[in-house]
Amino acid sequence: MPKLILQIDNSVLKTCSVGQRASIGRLPDNTVVVDNPAVSGHHAVVFRDGDHFVIEDLASTNGTFVNGKRVTTQKLRGGDTIRVGKSTHAIAFDEQGGDDDAVETAAPEIGAASGETVYLQADKHQALLAWIRSAQAPTTPAVLRVLEGPADQSEYSLHAHTSVIGKSDAALIRLKGLFKPKEAVAIARGDNGYVATVLRGTTRINKATVRERQVLADGDILEVGGLTLEFKLAS
Amino acid sequence: MAGMRLRVGARTDVGRVRHVNEDVYLLRARQGLFVVCDGIGGGPSGELASRVAGDAIVARLTEADADVQTAHARSGYLPRTSMLADAVRRSNECVYDHARQDRSLAGMGTTVVSAWIAEHVASIAHVGDSRAYLCYQDRLVPLTCDHSLASANANGDEAGLVRALGREPDVDVDLTEVPVRRGDYLVLCSDGLTRMVPESALADVIHELREPQRICDRLVDLANGNGGVDNITVVVVEVMGSWWQRRSTQRRPHAGGTDNAEAHTAD
Repeated sequence: MPKLILQIDNSVLKTCSVGQRASIGRLPDNTVVVDNPAVSGHHAVVFRDGDHFVIEDLASTNGTFVNGKRVTTQKLRGGDTIRVGKSTHAIAFDEQGGDDDAVETAAPEIGAASGETVYLQADKHQALLAWIRSAQAPTTPAVLRVLEGPADQSEYSLHAHTSVIGKSDAALIRLKGLFKPKEAVAIARGDNGYVATVLRGTTRINKATVRERQVLADGDILEVGGLTLEFKLAS
Repeated sequence: MAGMRLRVGARTDVGRVRHVNEDVYLLRARQGLFVVCDGIGGGPSGELASRVAGDAIVARLTEADADVQTAHARSGYLPRTSMLADAVRRSNECVYDHARQDRSLAGMGTTVVSAWIAEHVASIAHVGDSRAYLCYQDRLVPLTCDHSLASANANGDEAGLVRALGREPDVDVDLTEVPVRRGDYLVLCSDGLTRMVPESALADVIHELREPQRICDRLVDLANGNGGVDNITVVVVEVMGSWWQRRSTQRRPHAGGTDNAEAHTAD
């Protein structure tokens, strides 16, 4: 199976088998992780196209280079050296590779089993690119829609990393009333969705009191400090 | 901060192999500010780098404390988180300048992991392989991702840092925010702990001992018992409720994490 060999100063850091595809970038969900600030989160992707492999730059800030030449899409040959961004890492493409340490990726399966020659169909290519881009594109933030109770807006966007509901001046949704907590609930936006952490007082989700933390699901109804709110993911 | 009190423990230890402790921790419990730095570089330079960076972060945030409300929030982070990031970037310049002015200090650098806890949210900024964890109920959640070759290389044993303070004129600081509530524990530590003590043991010690200083002491002992190949530093912050909440907390099994009506009405 072909391999990508991550090197720095001619010493090998990691060898990754390329089944149908491999991604290169700074974030840990890539097949080949190049932790350098000058490398984009999802920088480039190497994928099988018929009987050869192609590298595609994912509109990175600092570019992808094959044998010193900046490329957007380029057919790879054995022995090619890839560089990403301004990183001093080099990634060698070994077309023969061994068949030992296969690396599993979560990519959608494309074409036949790895090792076989496949022809990459246009729709599958599109699916692959959509998969890659969904991982890199910031998702549209969810909202809290006010169903009942006194609030300044009818809907609040949960775009921040942390959104607080409470009496505090810094709260996204300000609770009104003398005995309301300064911070009642904090909603954290993470890579895998939204988590509500109850800080003070009682918060109910779908009529059940939340103990400490709860992952929010689309359509959840939150009751906090006299407000009833519906959590809506972006469609 | 009414309703949220912090109980803090901390310990740093040279370990069993090194002769010098290049780790540093700084605690400003009243402000909710905690910093761990792990210095890099031969001779006195590693010690100096971690000290300079830690001092610079704390000094910056202490002088700017009053401006939190007016601080400019950006890219979806709380103003406090942005301020912490600025302080870490500034500390990078301080270490870098030191190294440039004195040739004997060339190559010095330091990791940093810092937490600023206020209004029930912990802002975390880090560079390098010092880590932060949140421990609640029976879960230990890593809040940081090492900037080391080991994290880029599954087979790597020796962790080489790919990002550190003081090596370049500018540095990319990783940021996280995490809401914290009473009963939560926040752990900051250098790799001298995490390379010697598995995460499962870390969680077990917190659950068993509950008291931050005792947790720190036990973890350092465990790291030394497993070899102590590097300097070991650990800071543990327990988020506590008000006194009446603590009383009600003590009466129930802690790991169960059940809130009772008494605690709620007391709010």
